[in-house]
Amino acid sequence: MRFHRAASGSWELRGLHPLFASLLAELPKVASRHRKAQARLYPDPTGGEGEAQLRNDWKEHVRPGLERLFSSSRETVARDLSTLVPNSPGASLVIPAAHLDAWLNALSQARLIIVEENGFTESDLDHREQPDLATRRGLALLKVHFYAHLQELLVEAAG
Amino acid sequence: MSGAGVITGIETRGEDALSTPWNVVVHNDPVNLMSYVTMVFQRVLGFPRDRATRHMLEVHHKGRSLVWSGERERAEAVVEQLHGYLLLATIEQAEY
Repeated sequence: MRFHRAASGSWELRGLHPLFASLLAELPKVASRHRKAQARLYPDPTGGEGEAQLRNDWKEHVRPGLERLFSSSRETVARDLSTLVPNSPGASLVIPAAHLDAWLNALSQARLIIVEENGFTESDLDHREQPDLATRRGLALLKVHFYAHLQELLVEAAG
Repeated sequence: MSGAGVITGIETRGEDALSTPWNVVVHNDPVNLMSYVTMVFQRVLGFPRDRATRHMLEVHHKGRSLVWSGERERAEAVVEQLHGYLLLATIEQAEY
């Protein structure tokens, strides 16, 4: 997989292996599975200590804006991915420069959700062991690592 | 990202001695990448890269870092922006 900037200013992922192309194609769907990760995606601004009024106000006034932001990011990413053909060898994907923030946001959502769904710990995430790809948990860990790799590339691009 | 503006006019504890300031604290989590957290600190708080990196490392090694201090309404706005970037951030009243 190669990542480079095109003359248009957009970013391009080229030579995607079909496995990684399929993981990319799943990104909007994974990032929309908010049910099991509500507490992490919409954390308590008080850390759970006192300030009940602030918590209530936050839920009523701030959370809807965060939901719109997260949803908008997923939609942008889904549109960019609509041209991706996962099963074609050496697939490529164009990410417009103006969409980098949406991608960073959707990748964060997806990684947080997968970690919550699978109960991954810091030890699971630190790359010390190869994920067992024969298991659903191993595939989930691979997905977290792949999304992290892509996010690193995009942070560098955004910098 | 709509919540990506930089908070300007950062206040410090010493600048507002008449009222107790509110602190914005960012907490460690095993998921967000170090490079991503550094980028968010630069964007939201307007930190130069070396200061952003120092706070990121403090979060990573000590579990938390106080990244902003000032009046309550603006502290809430900072936390809202950090939550938009999916960082674990809380607001707490400073102790003297």
